[in-house]
Amino acid sequence: MASSAATRTGSAAAKVVKPLFSRDLNEAKRRVRELYRAWYREAPNTVHAYQLDIGTQQCREKVREMFDRNRHVTDPRVIDMLVIKGKMELQETIQVWKQRTHAMRYFQETEAPRPADFLSKFYHGHNP
Amino acid sequence: MAASLVRFVRSGFGRSLNVARQSAAIVQTRSTTTESRPTVRPKDPVTHSQLSEFGEYVAEILPKYVQQVQVTCFNELEIMVHPEGIIPVLTFLKDHTNAQFRNLADLTAVDIPSKQNRFEIVYNLLSLHYNSRIRVKTYTDELTPLDSSVPVFQASNWYEREVWDMFGVFFTNHPDLRRILTDYGFEGHPFRKDFPLSGYVEVRYDDEVKRVVAEPVELAQEFRKFDLNSPWEAFPAYRGPKDAPKLESGDKSEK
Amino acid sequence: MAGLLKKTTGLVGLAVSQNPHERLGNLYVKILSCLQRIPQDAAYRKYTEQLISERFNHVKTEPDVGKLEKKINAGQIEEVIAQAEAELSLSRKMVEWKAWEPLIEEAPANQWKWPI
Repeated sequence: MASSAATRTGSAAAKVVKPLFSRDLNEAKRRVRELYRAWYREAPNTVHAYQLDIGTQQCREKVREMFDRNRHVTDPRVIDMLVIKGKMELQETIQVWKQRTHAMRYFQETEAPRPADFLSKFYHGHNP
Repeated sequence: MAASLVRFVRSGFGRSLNVARQSAAIVQTRSTTTESRPTVRPKDPVTHSQLSEFGEYVAEILPKYVQQVQVTCFNELEIMVHPEGIIPVLTFLKDHTNAQFRNLADLTAVDIPSKQNRFEIVYNLLSLHYNSRIRVKTYTDELTPLDSSVPVFQASNWYEREVWDMFGVFFTNHPDLRRILTDYGFEGHPFRKDFPLSGYVEVRYDDEVKRVVAEPVELAQEFRKFDLNSPWEAFPAYRGPKDAPKLESGDKSEK
Repeated sequence: MAGLLKKTTGLVGLAVSQNPHERLGNLYVKILSCLQRIPQDAAYRKYTEQLISERFNHVKTEPDVGKLEKKINAGQIEEVIAQAEAELSLSRKMVEWKAWEPLIEEAPANQWKWPI
C-alpha cells in the first residue's frame, strides 16, 4: 500500500506537499526510533499478557524484522503513515484488544514454505 | 437530453473587477424538455432555483474556500471546497442563521484512482430548521492529511474512523482515530479500488496450534474477470447525443 | 407565552429564557461590533449585518415576546437566542479565518469532472 503511494509522490516530488507530522527525514526517523523503543519495551508484557509460547527474545526479533521490512522507505510522509499505523497496532496490543491469534499472526508458523525450484513446484502441482 | 451548462456570475457588490475569476460560481444544470412520462422524474424549477441561489450565497460569502457550486439533476446542492477550508465551510453551514445545517447525516469517501487526488470526501448535511440538505465535497490523496471535523460535528467521529479504516485517509486532530470495521492485524484498506476483491489473507482454524490462523489467500481457480461493459446504458443522460440510426433509402424499397 | 406563564419550550436541552430581550440585545450588539472588524465589502458582513440589525430593530421596538416571535419568524425566542449565539461564535471565527479573501488554490484539472 504505502510503497505504491511512495512511487506516486516520488513522481510529483517537485510539488510542495503538506507534511503529515514530520517536516524532514530526521524528524521522521526520530519518530520511528521512539516507536521501536516502545515496541521493544512492550515485548515482555505482551508475552506475559497473551501467554505466548515464545520468548521475549523471539518477540523482539520479530519486531526488529517488521521494522526492517520497511527499511527502504525514505519519504518522510510515508514513514509517518507507517508510524501512525504502527502506533495504532501497539495500542491494540497494549490494551489487549487483540487475542492470541492476532499476536501470533506475525509469526506465520503454519504456512508451508512456497516451493522455489522447478522440481518441487512440479511435485506441488503448481505451474511455474 | 441535451446537457446545458448554465453559468451564473455573481454580481460585483463592491468587489473590484480583477477578481472576476473567483466570483464565477458555476451552477451546473441538466435541463430536459417538459417531461410527461410517469417513470421520469419531473423537473422542479422552484427548488432548483432556490438551491442554486443558496449555493451562490455560500460561494459569495466564502470565496476563499469554495471552488465550485453545482446543483445535480436530482436537485441536490453540492459545494466543492478546498481541503484546507473544510472546517470553515462546515462551521459556517452549521452556525450561520440562514443555513443552520446542524446535523451531519453522513460522511464518506469515493476512490477514483486515476485522479491526482484520488479520494473525494463527501459530507452530507441536514438542516432541520429549513428542511433542506446540502453536500460538501473535498479531495485528498493517500498521504495528505485532512482536518478532522469532530470539533464541528460530534457525529463525524465514527464516520471518520470508518473512512480511515476503509480508505486510509488520515484525519488530523481526531480524538480517537483507530480501526472500526476490520479485524485487528488486518492490513490494507478494503474500499480502495486497488484492493483485490478476494483480499490478501484467509482465516481457518488450525487444530495443531489450537487457534485461528491467517494465511495468504489461495484460490483453486483463478479469479474470473468479467467484461463490465453492460449492453444497457446505465447513465444515458451523461453521454453525448448519439447519432440516430439512419435508414438507408435502398432498404425500404427492397422490403 | 412570555416569562411567567411559559413552563417549557418543548425542545430538549433548551430552557425557557427569563429575559429574552436583554439577552438578545447583548448578543446582537456583540455580533455587530464583531462584524466591524470585517472589511466593508465582504459579503458575510453585508448579509449578516442586514439580518441582525433587522432582528435587533424588532427586539428594540416590540416589548411583547409573543409578537416578537411572530415578527422575527424564526421559531420560539429561545431558538432565536441559540441562533444568535451560534452566529456570534461564527463571526468571531470568520474574522480569524479571513474568509473574504480570494480562493487559496484552484482545484487540480478534472478534479471535479464526472464521469471521467
